[in-house]
Amino acid sequence: MPSNLLTATIALVADTFREALARKIFWGFLLCSTAFILFFIFIMKIDVVAGALATVTIFGRTNDTQEIGQLVKNVQRGLGGFLYTVGMFLAVFASAGLISAVFEPGRIELLLSKPVARVHILLGRYLGNLLVIAINLFYLVVGVWLVFGIKVGIWGIGFLWSAVVTLFVFSVLLTIILLIGVIWESTAVTVLGTFGIMILSGVLSTHTQLIKLLSSETSRNVVRTLYYIFPKTVDIGKIAGELSAGGGVGDWMPIWTTALFGLTMLSLSIYIFARRNF
Amino acid sequence: MTDAYAIETEGLTKVFRTRFPAREFKAVDAISLRVPRGTTFGLLGPNGAGKTTFVKMLLSATHPSAGRAKLFGQDCRVPEARRPIGYLPENHRFPTYMTGANMLDFYGALSGLESTARRRRIPELLALVGLEKWGGTRLGKYSKGMLQRVGLAQAMMHSPDLLILDEPSDGVDPIGRREIRDILQALEQKGVTIFLNSHLLVEVELFCREVAIIQNGRVALEGTVKELTAGSGYRVEAEGVPEALQTELRATARSVAARDGALQFLFAGRGEANRAIDLLRSQQIEVESVQRATSTLEEVFVRTINAK
Repeated sequence: MPSNLLTATIALVADTFREALARKIFWGFLLCSTAFILFFIFIMKIDVVAGALATVTIFGRTNDTQEIGQLVKNVQRGLGGFLYTVGMFLAVFASAGLISAVFEPGRIELLLSKPVARVHILLGRYLGNLLVIAINLFYLVVGVWLVFGIKVGIWGIGFLWSAVVTLFVFSVLLTIILLIGVIWESTAVTVLGTFGIMILSGVLSTHTQLIKLLSSETSRNVVRTLYYIFPKTVDIGKIAGELSAGGGVGDWMPIWTTALFGLTMLSLSIYIFARRNF
Repeated sequence: MTDAYAIETEGLTKVFRTRFPAREFKAVDAISLRVPRGTTFGLLGPNGAGKTTFVKMLLSATHPSAGRAKLFGQDCRVPEARRPIGYLPENHRFPTYMTGANMLDFYGALSGLESTARRRRIPELLALVGLEKWGGTRLGKYSKGMLQRVGLAQAMMHSPDLLILDEPSDGVDPIGRREIRDILQALEQKGVTIFLNSHLLVEVELFCREVAIIQNGRVALEGTVKELTAGSGYRVEAEGVPEALQTELRATARSVAARDGALQFLFAGRGEANRAIDLLRSQQIEVESVQRATSTLEEVFVRTINAK
């Protein structure tokens, strides 16, 4: 990459970080993540009873003795599920403002007057936003993984893979945020649109049951087509859960079709942004 | 098109279209303009004349519907063509989470300035615009005038060859305006081309060498300030002119105005003015002054706009 492009990319990414810090998004996420890590360090006590068995004590209340490996998997799976659902919604909510802010009149003209291609400005912001979320996500996941590793000596990397999958799904949702932001320049519309697609994707994940309820073949084909087009957040969530529990990826179709959706959204965003008048 | 011109446009046109309801609005209508390197150029026009759209097309923030624009001989759509340009937008919205120094650093980096050069330029420019003590303060705390100053510093970060300034004195007090004018004059001395888009006609008249007045998206008048403000005729001022002589002079004068007890006769040509002086002197009347008539840029502007 030529040095001018690199300098501009670093500036665009750093600017996204600076804005995230100013909006308290970064600090908010970091604070929550730190609270989780401290909980696992100080509040949740794991006592190895005999060999592979352990008891968990939270706020002085001790649970039944469990198999230690299973216990760690359950906790990590629960946390992964929380990040994949609640964390994802929060990340989308926070990112919508970060993306649409760039298109504010009076700000975008100045950015466009610089010797930087429009695609570069858009991708710089996208990358910066993705990194803000990635740092927070991996801070929490790696932190918890280290706590369990140090406390009970279980170092399975499935939990870390589940974070990669979560980030992948967020990166796809961020392309939706980008596209809606480029078209409407509104945080509210961006949030509603992205949440709408997340909900639709959840509904479409039940397509096998859904098509049984439909009478016409055309409607069934529409549902099947929509299922393949839209991101498969629920299906990939199950994959993330499997990975957390030490399993593998059974079916790659949800991943590659979702990646294809993300690439299409990103290309559309770039195309529309390049043609827009400001 | 050659790079002898900082800005060169040919038939530059912008038509805005809405679908619902179907409407068309021609904001800029086939403007062909040439701004030579090193000059100070003022773009004037009433609100909605198409000035800002024209500037946005130069910067590729708005895409032309027809025609083309070049910056130093390069097609303005190419990002590299914008490297020698510094721009201060009119209704800017600088990110308020940045400090003055952050802002200069960010836009300097986007202009391709390396970090060592940025570190050197930031204090220099903050001092130049009188904000040396405000570099570490967030822009959210800046007054309108301070934002204009830091905006100007931003435009100058990478030592551009062309400065495009949209209402640079907006919100700045008279002293600040004077300082900004001094800064721009110093840049002009260094050969920087300055393209000013301003409503302050006095300021444009004081600073710019060339101007173009646009109305309804078209160039209504273009030329050097000297040419445009040069009036035709001569003004002869005298005191205590007797009634009979007044009547005689009025017959050849284009107009007569009374000012502080004196009479000002405006004659169309040098011959009429000299005959009037001869008449006045033959009756021992003291001639107070003889001047070539000129117009202010404001008068030229109003005449041009009203004529259309």
